[in-house]
Amino acid sequence: MSQSFEVDYAKIYATIKTGIPILGDLKITETLIVSWIVMIIITGLCIFLTRDLRVENISKRQAFAEMLVETGNNFVRNNTGGNKFDKLIPFVSALFATSVVSNLISLVGLRSPTADLSTEAAWAIVVFIMITSTKIKTNGFGGYLKGFTTPIAVMTPFNILSELATPVSMACRHFGNILSGVVIDGLIYWALGLASAALFGLIPGAVGKFLSNIPILGIGLPAITGVYFDWFSGCMQAFIFCMLTVMYIANAAEE
Amino acid sequence: MNHMALLALAANAETQDLVTLVPWTFIIQIINLFIQVYLIKKFLFKPINDILQKRKDLADKEIREAREAQDEATSLKTQYEESLTNAHAEAAKIVSDAQKEAETKAETIVRDAEQQANALKAKANADIEQEKKKAINEAKDEIGSLAMEIAGKVVEKEISEADHKKLIEDFITKVG
Repeated sequence: MSQSFEVDYAKIYATIKTGIPILGDLKITETLIVSWIVMIIITGLCIFLTRDLRVENISKRQAFAEMLVETGNNFVRNNTGGNKFDKLIPFVSALFATSVVSNLISLVGLRSPTADLSTEAAWAIVVFIMITSTKIKTNGFGGYLKGFTTPIAVMTPFNILSELATPVSMACRHFGNILSGVVIDGLIYWALGLASAALFGLIPGAVGKFLSNIPILGIGLPAITGVYFDWFSGCMQAFIFCMLTVMYIANAAEE
Repeated sequence: MNHMALLALAANAETQDLVTLVPWTFIIQIINLFIQVYLIKKFLFKPINDILQKRKDLADKEIREAREAQDEATSLKTQYEESLTNAHAEAAKIVSDAQKEAETKAETIVRDAEQQANALKAKANADIEQEKKKAINEAKDEIGSLAMEIAGKVVEKEISEADHKKLIEDFITKVG
């Protein structure tokens, strides 16, 4: 058991030299590998759930799949007020599913892809582009630019700042929450490891030495703290991210 | 210190910073997101929405059919009620017609009978009158001859035929 605390950094498994300036070398990190695992899980689940679909006399599996789809439909429709944004439904659902599965995959010991700011930044930028394009579509490009000068021209820098703050805050909120979960989980495991080492170190002889190397105290408690730091926080952040996405885009469509 | 860092590097795989923005990861995650959108659309939303639509169509169809059947039943009911009302009216008309006809017939029969009776009565009266006249005439003749006989016997005088007749008529006139 190490005496110093180490946060779980994303590992880099391979580096592909590209020689492209700015972008640098393509690094296959843990984030990407786990992201692909997450995608495989989600897609596999979708395929599994939609197997053998029937109109009548449906299976529990199909009922669950229908419930998921209905939930996605209702979530977007209720928050945008109508069917205007039905095209967004698969996007928001994919975002939510990816986020939830990414957050919760830390429960099986993998490193969450969402504990890497690049992931959330990627999502937030996509959402930001969608918000901006919706605004331009609604008000025209001139109207979009004019929107920055409201209510008075002096406010323009602040409006630009608040506009840019949208993706930054979305990305950082999600990232921060998940990273804090990772850090706190790490801390709890580390502290419990130290505690059990100290406790079982009291047993004299080889038995004490053997037992003190096993973090026995780390068995029960992290599951309880994990309910908040992994389960609740993971689901909550995914929900908040999707909620904000829908709300921002719905707001952008208002004249 | 340098020695320690080298050791750490050898022990662990290379790691990236805790808070960092890696361009390639960023780009690949955007692509991943869109691939995921496509996959979730293809494998979850399309089949489920299709099946939901199918079920909705089926339900709509059944509701429509039920409504059509109901409409039909309602129209049939109206039709039946109408024909029933017509039948009632017709029956009433037939009865009233029959009644009227019967009344007319009865009246005609009664009137005919009355007429016939009146005719019979008149005829009978006429007959009686004639018989009476006849009887009176006969009686007159009888009485005439009888009176002549009696007179001949009483007076026993020769009377000419003309006087005779005159005498009789006077007598009859006086008597009658």
